[in-house]
Amino acid sequence: MASAEQLPGPNDLSDEEREAVETLLFRLADDEFVLAERYTEWQVRAPTLESDLALANIAQDELGHARLWYDLLQDFGPDEPELIWERDPGEWYHSTLTELPFEEGDWADPILRSYLYDAAEEIRLEALEDSSYARIRNRVGKVQGEEDYHLEHAQNWLERLAEEEQSRERVQTALDRLWPHAQTIFAPTDEEVEERIDDLGLRTKSLAEMREEWRETVVPYLEDLGLSVDAGGETDLPEVTGRNLSHTDDWDDLWEDFTATYRELGREEATRIMKDPDEVE
Amino acid sequence: MIWEVFRQEQAGEYHTHCGNVHAPDREMALMFAEIQHGRRKPTNSLWVVPQKEIGEVDTEEANFGGTTDKSYRWAQSYSFEAAAEEVADSESEQVQAERQRGDD
Repeated sequence: MASAEQLPGPNDLSDEEREAVETLLFRLADDEFVLAERYTEWQVRAPTLESDLALANIAQDELGHARLWYDLLQDFGPDEPELIWERDPGEWYHSTLTELPFEEGDWADPILRSYLYDAAEEIRLEALEDSSYARIRNRVGKVQGEEDYHLEHAQNWLERLAEEEQSRERVQTALDRLWPHAQTIFAPTDEEVEERIDDLGLRTKSLAEMREEWRETVVPYLEDLGLSVDAGGETDLPEVTGRNLSHTDDWDDLWEDFTATYRELGREEATRIMKDPDEVE
Repeated sequence: MIWEVFRQEQAGEYHTHCGNVHAPDREMALMFAEIQHGRRKPTNSLWVVPQKEIGEVDTEEANFGGTTDKSYRWAQSYSFEAAAEEVADSESEQVQAERQRGDD
């Protein structure tokens, strides 16, 4: 990896630098936004009032993080409708792990999904702490401040679900289904652009390094819980990774759902109810 | 299992009861309480206590403060001169507390 020189602000980047920054931001923002969309499906349906509130609160955190990253994409011109409400579903970069629907009443899925995702999130945020792009670097701490709870929440639940055979089997079923999709968290968008992200020092660990670190964390943890992980190599990747703009059919349905109101109301702009993140930093 | 939750707004203040959470154990109770009772109001610290561990005595069983005249408890019962400011303040607090007990 090249020694990282500091990159200038958004208006002074070269086209290649800008493309690398944008790609990195889309990876981050789309993951957070789409996962939060899925989490909110549990509102008023979680097993208890307490678990309902906790997951809804986590969803709100993730939306807040998505907002911080989308705001940095707005530096380059696009407004919120262009970034979210009017963006074609075939132009989203999120990992397929975030878009999969839940089986009705299968609480093991959101818990395990959150664990797999938040363990990865912790690693990729660490790799942004010394990003060569100050606009990203300066927002990492704020996001990290809310992530500890997410991981603690997922692990507390997982450890309890794994105690008894029946619930452990449900976690295992979820794991078998989610595991290949979890690998896409560290899948590349365009190989060449990903390399540029590393060379420019936008992140200080490559996707392969982060994926390895993530697997070294989650595999032993899950095995200690009595779960079996089919930890293959690159062949773990499903055909559609999300990162390469290919998605599952479920994504189209989710996109239709969360953009429906915007279209039905004939909107052309997004109402702003909060201050710009730069004003509150 | 129900856990009663007590919230302290600032360091040094009392923890005051603010509600409860359902949770199977202390760790989960703290985790839920953090969201349910700590996310919207100023919070420095939360306690969770198993509901069944809380002892209670109420007016059905006790006459709080007794039933006879206890004015000898008041500092000014012993004073025959004008009271110092601090003593007067303290006394007016006691008088107010007495009223709130509904004895007047």
